Amino acid sequence: MAETEPGLPQRSTAAGFGRVLVVVYAIFAVAATARSVLQIATRFDEAPLAYALSAVAAVVYVVATVALARGDRTSRRVAVVAISVELVGVLTVGALSLLDSTAFPAASVWSGFGSGYGFVPLVLPFVGLWWLWRTRPGER
Amino acid sequence: MTGPYATAVIVVSLLLCLGALVLLVADQSPSTGAWILLGVLELMIVVFAVGGVVQLVGADHDVPAWEFVGYLAGLVAIVPAAAWWVREERSRAAAAVLVVVLLVVPFLVLRVQQVWAGTRG
Repeated sequence: MAETEPGLPQRSTAAGFGRVLVVVYAIFAVAATARSVLQIATRFDEAPLAYALSAVAAVVYVVATVALARGDRTSRRVAVVAISVELVGVLTVGALSLLDSTAFPAASVWSGFGSGYGFVPLVLPFVGLWWLWRTRPGER
Repeated sequence: MTGPYATAVIVVSLLLCLGALVLLVADQSPSTGAWILLGVLELMIVVFAVGGVVQLVGADHDVPAWEFVGYLAGLVAIVPAAAWWVREERSRAAAAVLVVVLLVVPFLVLRVQQVWAGTRG
C-alpha cells in the first residue's frame, strides 16, 4: 500500500484487486441487464418467474457494481446487502432449478448455480463478501 | 460472421490476453505499447461489428436482431470501457483487468456467431 492515487480512499473497495472484482461484476451487470430486458420485452409469457428472477439478478449485479466501484461508507453497506442477496439468490435459484426444472424452463444467470457461466455467479458473492471484509475500515 | 476474420479477432485477443497475463505475473502495469496493441484490437472489433451489421441487413435467414446487435455493441464497448476503468491504476491490477476483458472478447465473438447461426442454447 505504498502508493495510492489521490482522491481514492486508502482502503477503497475499487482499488487493487477491487479493480478486477468491479470489472467482473460490471460484466455480469451488463450481461444480466441486457438479457433480462430482451427476455421481458420479447417473451415474458413463456416463463414469468424465471424472467422476473433474471431481472432481480440484473438489479442486484448493477447495485453491487456501483457500490463496489464507489466504495465509500454508505456504498460499502449497500454492497454488503446486494452481495448477500446475490448469495441467497444464486443458492436458492440454483437449488430450485435442480429440484424443479419445470419452474425454470429458461436459463437464468443463477440456474444450476450459474453453471452456464462457468459457476462464476456462485463464486462471485463469496469473493465479494471476502473482499468487503478484507477492506473493512478500521483494520490496519 | 464465422469467417477467418472473426477467428483473427479471437486469436489477437487471446494473444494479448497472454501478454497481459505475463504483465500480471511480472507485477507490471501495461505500457504504452500495450495500449497501442489494444487500440489495434479495438479497431478490428469495430470493423467486425460494422461488418456484422451490414451482414444482418442483408441476411437471408432469421437472426434475432436485437440480441445480435446487443452482443456487437457490448463487444465494441468493452475494451474502451476497461481502458477507462484502469486509466489511473498503476499496479498489476490493470493487467489483471485486461486478462479478464481479453477473455470476454473471444467469448462475445463466439456468442455473436451462435446468435447469427441460431444455435444458442
